[in-house]
Amino acid sequence: MTTGWHEAGDAVRLDAVRKEYGGVVALDGVSIAFPRGGFTAVMGPSGSGKSTFLHCAAGLDRPTSGRVVLDGQDLDGKNETYLTKLRRDRVGFVFQSFNLLPALTVEQNVVLPLQLAGKRADKRLVERILAHVGLDGRRKHLPGQLSGGQQQRVAIARALVTDPAVLFADEPTGALDTRTAAEVLGLLRDSVRSSGQTVIMVTHDPVAASYADEVVFLADGRIAGRLARPTAEAVAERMTHLGAWGRVAA
Amino acid sequence: MFKLALRTLRLRKGGFLATFVAVFFGALVISACGGLMETGIRSETPVQRLAAAPIVVGGQQTFEQPREDPATLEPEDKHKTETATLPERVRLDAALAGRLRAVPGVTNVVGEVTFPAQIGASRVLGHAWDSAVLTPYTLKGEAPKPGEVVVDAGLGLAAGDTLPVAAHGTVGRYRISGIAEAPQAMRDSALFFAPSDAEKLSGHPGRFDAIGVFGGDVAAVSAAVGDAGVVTTGVDRGALEFPETGKSAENLIVLSAVSGGLSALVMVFVVAGTLTLSTQQRQRELALLRAVGTTPRQLRRMVLGEAFVVGLLAVAVAVALGPVLGNWLFGQLTDHQVVPDVLRFEQGWVPATVAAGASLLAVVAASFVAGRRASRVRPTEALAEAAVERRWLTPIRLITAILCFGGGTALAIVTVAVMTGPVAASTAGPAVMLWAFGLAAISPGVTKLVATLLRWPVHALTGVNGRVALRNTRVGAVRAAGAVTPIMLAVGIATANIYLQTTQEAASNQAFTEDLRADAVVGAPGGLDPAVLGRVRAVPGVAGASEYVTSTVFVEKPFDSGQNDDGRPALGISELTGNAVEVPSTLGHHVGDTLSLKLGDGTPVDVRVTAVVHQRPGFERLVLPAALLAPHTTLGLAPQLLVQAAPGVDAATLTARLREATAGLPVFVGDRETLIAAHAKGNEIGAWVNYLLVGMILAYTVISVVNTLVMATARRRREFGMQRLSGFTRGQVLRMAGVEGGLIATIAVLLGTLVAAGAIVPFCLVVTGSLLPSGPVSIYLVVLAIAVVLSLVAILVPAWAATRGRAVDATSAGE
Repeated sequence: MTTGWHEAGDAVRLDAVRKEYGGVVALDGVSIAFPRGGFTAVMGPSGSGKSTFLHCAAGLDRPTSGRVVLDGQDLDGKNETYLTKLRRDRVGFVFQSFNLLPALTVEQNVVLPLQLAGKRADKRLVERILAHVGLDGRRKHLPGQLSGGQQQRVAIARALVTDPAVLFADEPTGALDTRTAAEVLGLLRDSVRSSGQTVIMVTHDPVAASYADEVVFLADGRIAGRLARPTAEAVAERMTHLGAWGRVAA
Repeated sequence: MFKLALRTLRLRKGGFLATFVAVFFGALVISACGGLMETGIRSETPVQRLAAAPIVVGGQQTFEQPREDPATLEPEDKHKTETATLPERVRLDAALAGRLRAVPGVTNVVGEVTFPAQIGASRVLGHAWDSAVLTPYTLKGEAPKPGEVVVDAGLGLAAGDTLPVAAHGTVGRYRISGIAEAPQAMRDSALFFAPSDAEKLSGHPGRFDAIGVFGGDVAAVSAAVGDAGVVTTGVDRGALEFPETGKSAENLIVLSAVSGGLSALVMVFVVAGTLTLSTQQRQRELALLRAVGTTPRQLRRMVLGEAFVVGLLAVAVAVALGPVLGNWLFGQLTDHQVVPDVLRFEQGWVPATVAAGASLLAVVAASFVAGRRASRVRPTEALAEAAVERRWLTPIRLITAILCFGGGTALAIVTVAVMTGPVAASTAGPAVMLWAFGLAAISPGVTKLVATLLRWPVHALTGVNGRVALRNTRVGAVRAAGAVTPIMLAVGIATANIYLQTTQEAASNQAFTEDLRADAVVGAPGGLDPAVLGRVRAVPGVAGASEYVTSTVFVEKPFDSGQNDDGRPALGISELTGNAVEVPSTLGHHVGDTLSLKLGDGTPVDVRVTAVVHQRPGFERLVLPAALLAPHTTLGLAPQLLVQAAPGVDAATLTARLREATAGLPVFVGDRETLIAAHAKGNEIGAWVNYLLVGMILAYTVISVVNTLVMATARRRREFGMQRLSGFTRGQVLRMAGVEGGLIATIAVLLGTLVAAGAIVPFCLVVTGSLLPSGPVSIYLVVLAIAVVLSLVAILVPAWAATRGRAVDATSAGE
């Protein structure tokens, strides 16, 4: 489960990460490594520390103690601007909702991370990515003119445009119906299969988790187990035995 | 980042409307004030009477006054001086006209004499007929011989009639020998006398008010004039024809600088408020930008970019419309005789540029405040469901507040400890701004504190909706503070300025009334014949009578360090004779000292101190013999006689006897009330200017507050919808919004009163010795009513609109 310092091959590595919010422990000494080219789902009941885990792993939030190494970069002691630039270059994000800038067209939203970094957007790359997510016909549309599933695919395109080391997804299907959700999850899995993308997805939906190569379970701020090649049934079964639920069930 | 700012602007026009409106009106006011200032600086008064003379020579109306005691300086040191303006007309020696005639190329030299005259009730200006070419007037009829006049066509009189004319204190009868027609519209009607008559009636034979020169070049004329006067051409000639415009123009500059500067400061507040509000409402969007890789710096630049573009658009429109408001304000000022209407309103590109620069600077300063807040948005907030309010008390806010409160306290101490009389008002303006700035810096905390203090009354007066409103105000203190701050500012500035004015007025009227020992007044606008004094003294029931002449003198020796370029007020009375002077005890002179003075028209005179008198602080003046002072005023005569009744003679009897004794003379007789009313009227002009400017700044603040509150409330559609879903009726939601509006108004009024008190109380302590200002309470109540009604309307109307329709639709609507 844990790996040594010298192994820089992991996309993201957390080492004894602890996070407290005003005395409440959200993460309690989490150590885990995510290999490159893997699709991992992080699951856990509400309050298990899923979101905090994602924020710390992605450099959005600083751990109270412990270290996070993202694509070989130790995040410890780095200032906000450095972290922002690191996120811009190495990390992609897909959120549950409200994740596109309403003033920008689909294409403008997608190239935004490149523009923020002061890079020129390669037109062919953008076209290829938009085709990949199935939106090549809607480049000039505003987010408000798209369905929820289409908006989420724009968000995935935006997350992929910088060719990030890791793509973090926070409940990416939470606001979608089951069919659209399946399309979006399929898209994420394809990115891993076809171009070796690393994806870390936080979810509480066993079906969504079943698209991943491996599921990591969190409970009470600790890693409570892992499950390779998951099925929805197996995940659901494990979930009922986690945390407080698990204790009641036992 | 700039492109992103532009795109956001295009999609979210509504969200920036508040900023646009705030910048627009701010820039409009600054631009209009700039126009008034340019008018004052240029001080262009197109010539009327002297239009035909290409070169006009006038008296040297200014002089260099040393700012340091010349006795303490080494001879080789450069003297620091300031330019002082002589308040009375400086006339030219007639001999200068003769010297100018000898200048090569000069074809004609015409001396101009102007004196006030009266035909019945209408006032005209008297001149000598040989100077009619200066305009030039065309004559129908004959030139006047002694005992004859030529009248202005505008007076509608007929040649051949006999006309009684009052001038220089006497009434004479003149035969109309002809009618003169001016080539253009004239402010004053003219009456032309034979040169010998005019010389007599002017009261200053051998001296001209101005000399018109035809032919010859300016350099040669200037060389011939030397130090004896000033040579003007073109529009500058107007300053010699209308010398009173000089002081008005100066006042106009001060006035416009103060109100323009105040507007710019208010604008920083208001725009910072609207920008902060709009960034707050886009918190999630900004957090998202941060999450996808926007650095805090880029976010700040984006906020700045958005504000700058909005500001640029608003400023462009405002600058285009600025001259319209400027012209209107100028019209109001001339209508109320604050500035003479012969002054030409002039608004060129300079005020536009200054207004644009100042406004954009204010926008940049405001966006710095808002941008700092925006850049502190944490990226994780994009992922959280509800954005929580963070700590608002930053070190910068705290330091600003401490510095401002320190400054305000220091000003209060200085006012009470050092200042005397009306001068104390000079610290009050800055004090208002300091207290307001300080409170604004910590406004979320203060809002929360006052809301907590108001907990009991609100609970007692309202039900559950009041409780929710209270929680909203306390939890959303930053948002509430955004509305509280501008209202506080408006209440503070309005209350402070108006009551400073009324207190000062009351103090001045009180001083005048208490110092006035006269029971009646005999006056003449054109001056009183010195013989009237004897006649009045002889009237039975008169205990004493004295001429009453006011002017300004400049103390030259010994050096008077407390004297500025306005000199020292002087009063001329008949009780003093010769070269006597009574000085206020505050000047530090002793009986027997000799003072070297420059009188109002620049004439030097040495006087001996015969008494040192204690005078009311702030109203000190040098008392001189009327016979010494009067000839050196523009009029040349005393305009008034003050009369004291003998014991047992009542006012009505006294005035009746005075009227009888002065029958046939061109004078009016009034009682004590006439004098007091005339004094109060003089103050009213100053008050009126103050009200106009306060009104303008208030209107600006009001517009800003309304548009801020409307924007903030309309955006709460979702919140209101949620409340209705959780069991509130629409009426309860509206009542809750009403209580919130009331709370905001109450907090703002309390803080605004505090701000005003910080400036008014020290001032009142100095001027009237009481803690409370003088003036009607109704003004304060009106200000309160405006604040409350505005807050309620600005919250309730959009809340009413936002709760129309079904609650479910409101909650499902996107942001």
